[in-house]
Amino acid sequence: MQKNSVFINAAVLLVALFYSQTGFSASCCGGGSASSLLLPKAGQMMFDLSVDTEQYDGFWNSAGQHVSDPEGSDLSQLRINAGIGYRLSPNWQVSLVVPYVWNDNQYAGFETQTNGVGDSVASIWYEAFDVITCVYKVNSIADLKPSIYYGLSLTVPTGVSPYGDVANSFDITGRGFYRLDASLMMEKTVFPWNASLQLSHGVYVERPVNREYGNYVEPYDKNLGDRQLFTLSFGYTDQTEKLGTLTYTLAYADLSEKAGEIDGVIDPTGGLEKQSLSFTIAFSNFDKDKIYKLSYNKATDGKNFPATDVLTVGASYVFY
Amino acid sequence: MYFIKVALLASLLALVACDQIEDDLNPSSEDLRPDVVAGSDGTAVGQLALDFTLEDTLGNDLILSDEYPLNTATVLYFTMWCPVCDSHMSYMRQYMVAQYPDVEFLFIDYVTGTVSGSRQTQISNGYTDFTVLVDTTNAIQNIYNATMGTVVVIDSSGIITMNEDFKDAVKLSNVLSIM
Repeated sequence: MQKNSVFINAAVLLVALFYSQTGFSASCCGGGSASSLLLPKAGQMMFDLSVDTEQYDGFWNSAGQHVSDPEGSDLSQLRINAGIGYRLSPNWQVSLVVPYVWNDNQYAGFETQTNGVGDSVASIWYEAFDVITCVYKVNSIADLKPSIYYGLSLTVPTGVSPYGDVANSFDITGRGFYRLDASLMMEKTVFPWNASLQLSHGVYVERPVNREYGNYVEPYDKNLGDRQLFTLSFGYTDQTEKLGTLTYTLAYADLSEKAGEIDGVIDPTGGLEKQSLSFTIAFSNFDKDKIYKLSYNKATDGKNFPATDVLTVGASYVFY
Repeated sequence: MYFIKVALLASLLALVACDQIEDDLNPSSEDLRPDVVAGSDGTAVGQLALDFTLEDTLGNDLILSDEYPLNTATVLYFTMWCPVCDSHMSYMRQYMVAQYPDVEFLFIDYVTGTVSGSRQTQISNGYTDFTVLVDTTNAIQNIYNATMGTVVVIDSSGIITMNEDFKDAVKLSNVLSIM
């Protein structure tokens, strides 16, 4: 019974954490990226489906000042993320997440709706622990040992970017670049409390560009700047009457991306920052195979980035 | 395992079947710009800029062909008042306006829809020191194949010398410095 509860807690926590991450959207700037997903330690395979509704509320300019959108505008993005995770061995797992994006942008004098596949993310994770580290009581130093995950994620530009046959910036569903992220995640549960820390560093792959919004241009090489993500979360798990669990997670995320380069010269107008807070409620049944979650993410500060609120509803099914 | 293989194969086939994605999965460095007849009417580099009349946010009509003879160059910048546009416009104000005093910088608002609304947005975004033209019907945006961040540079004889994304401003600086 106790072991089962611990398993449940680990599974729900991982799902809650990844729903607390900062997404990168902004249809005008090339968005619709997926995030990664992680299988719980005992899981063999997982299907995950979630829906993000992102509402825009102005932006932070390069000086960090908030600027409102034009009066009469209503800008939003809806994303459905389909993911699958699969365990290769006791300590290795892989996952693939593919988003489908709907952009809905209405200004007083301009209106556009579009949809398409966003940028996909394929990941491989190594779990640097053999048994679950969740404990009910700390009796020794060894009980404080966290679960540590090392991950590599490849973002594949399956979305529609500014560099293809697209005439309007509102039709963009991806950024057009491959990116490789290295991640470290540490998580510790002392039931019913838990905490986690994730650090990621992403590097884009330079690419040639010969087209901008459908118009052919003089070819050049472009790269985006390195990307860092820091996420810190704290959670509390409550047991329901039928021995399911409810986990409440509060997370802070800090995302930054350095200025990119064009033909090897740094773009002085590039780079971005975004800080956000999110709150997630995740429910798991007693058999720990079904997980439902509801998450709200609010951008709290930033530079050169839209201010958005994201509401996420999702469900996961785990095979043990 | 069989299910996963089928799912992955189906996903790959779906992606390969989409031409728009191919542009990004396997990008090209080939120069595919179409040839144009120099001096003909159009919106490509080397062509005579298509003329238009737009109202600015102060209610004045501006005729393009009346403007470009007055300046070394006329720069049209298409804005939708987003963070990318703001970083470009801020850069022009900070580094380019003083450097090129004989160049006229005109921002074209193609999203706000009304002169009064555009004026309000211009003020709230802090760009009252620039002339903002209001493309209420998106006609000029469509004619020039423009979108967020598009820069069109026109010389004093009306010939287009640049029509592409602002990017890092290097191309714009290079174009203006030789005019």
